[in-house]
Amino acid sequence: MTHPSRWGHVLLVAACATTWTVFPGPARAEGHPASPGMSHVTPAVTPAAGNRTPTHPAPVSPKRPNPANPAAPSQPVPPTAPSPSEDVPGPEAQRPSMPAPLPPPTPGLTQPQFSPYVPWPTSKLRVRVIDGRTQQPIEGAEVVLIETEQRATTGPDGYTQWMDAPIIRNPRYRPMVAELHGQLGVIAYKNGYRDSIHLGIRMHEGLPSETTVWMYKLGPGDTRIEPVLYQVPYHHVWLVELADKFRSKTQPGEGPERP
Amino acid sequence: MKKTILGGLAALVCLGMTALNAPPARAEQTIYNTPLPSTIRVAIRAENPSGESDPRGRILWVQTVPFDEYCEDVLPNEWVPSWHIEALKAGAMAVKMFAWYHHLHPVTIDGFTFDVDNTVNFQTFRYWSRQPETNAAVRAVHNAVYVKPNGEIIELNYRAGYRNSPNWQYRNAQKMAQWGSEYWAERGRNWVQILQFYYMDRTLRWI
Repeated sequence: MTHPSRWGHVLLVAACATTWTVFPGPARAEGHPASPGMSHVTPAVTPAAGNRTPTHPAPVSPKRPNPANPAAPSQPVPPTAPSPSEDVPGPEAQRPSMPAPLPPPTPGLTQPQFSPYVPWPTSKLRVRVIDGRTQQPIEGAEVVLIETEQRATTGPDGYTQWMDAPIIRNPRYRPMVAELHGQLGVIAYKNGYRDSIHLGIRMHEGLPSETTVWMYKLGPGDTRIEPVLYQVPYHHVWLVELADKFRSKTQPGEGPERP
Repeated sequence: MKKTILGGLAALVCLGMTALNAPPARAEQTIYNTPLPSTIRVAIRAENPSGESDPRGRILWVQTVPFDEYCEDVLPNEWVPSWHIEALKAGAMAVKMFAWYHHLHPVTIDGFTFDVDNTVNFQTFRYWSRQPETNAAVRAVHNAVYVKPNGEIIELNYRAGYRNSPNWQYRNAQKMAQWGSEYWAERGRNWVQILQFYYMDRTLRWI
């Protein structure tokens, strides 16, 4: 599309908005809950901004929760048919499977914007170390959390204590498709065993996470001893979303996910 | 007269042979005649360089895993542990019924006989990847099954779906959308209602 035609679209939209706000049509003016606000346009408002209704709420659906009681919609609500007295907007909304709208966000629980200059959010993590061949827990292994350099030692059951661990998402992907979980790495050391590096441990906000590190005993034939790496793969639900994000129509590859 | 008798005998013999060659009548596998499996055979496929088991990779071995542990080690890799607990419970039920169905219908590939493999060919399984939150969901639906009204065990299939959408098209295909389960759970549906939305003509039973 060339530039003149794009500007032509912008001018057309602006002209339509001006006309609509200054001369609201009779059909829209009568009985519509949002229409009284539409007619009060001050000259200071630009035509494009006049299309919005900042001082008046959107038409309220019958199932919208009561703002005075924000806790109510979080409880499971069985699908019930609306009563005849309710103002039902259309046949689609009469289905029992129509969703209730999302409850208003709690001020303290909103996810903060990413910034590399603020402390990471943390959650709890504990690591279990086992012998890769016998599957038995290894006591006394030292586990180092790479990102924070925290150290912990495993107990008789192979578990470390719960540690405060950061939830670090890769900032490269944040503007595109936010990762579903943060990722961490640990190294496990134990005398007589190969070092084990475990990368990509999934971390979630507000949830304790566990991971298991496999360690392998050194044998007499081991002449070149190097660490063992295990990389936790990305969650495949996120991979599906990421691949769909950049799919073009001319070369869709496997195409969007379909049922 | 003799010819007629011989012809009749021949017809009877043919009929008997046909009946012998016919596949044996098989009763439907229902929750009333089939116990919950105690173990499941998981084919482990070779990993690709990024550490993920490759759906087209060579089968390395077949691992026998306790059934409950299998469900616990699948759920965090199919659903996201930070999702709503009701979405996780719906996912736990789908994971369990999918595994149960395939336990009853094993396959043999490359000389290995197994029920499921550890990739998205069946369900993504990573040994010892269980998480406290998803374990709770698996335990919550442990005694429940979601079957046909006559109790027949069928596969509950699912796909990723799309974020922030009820994913109606998945309901039409009788598959649960994983993102859709989270969508409904955030809006106050419980796990039974989520299953009822995506799967038609199925019933919740307790075992």
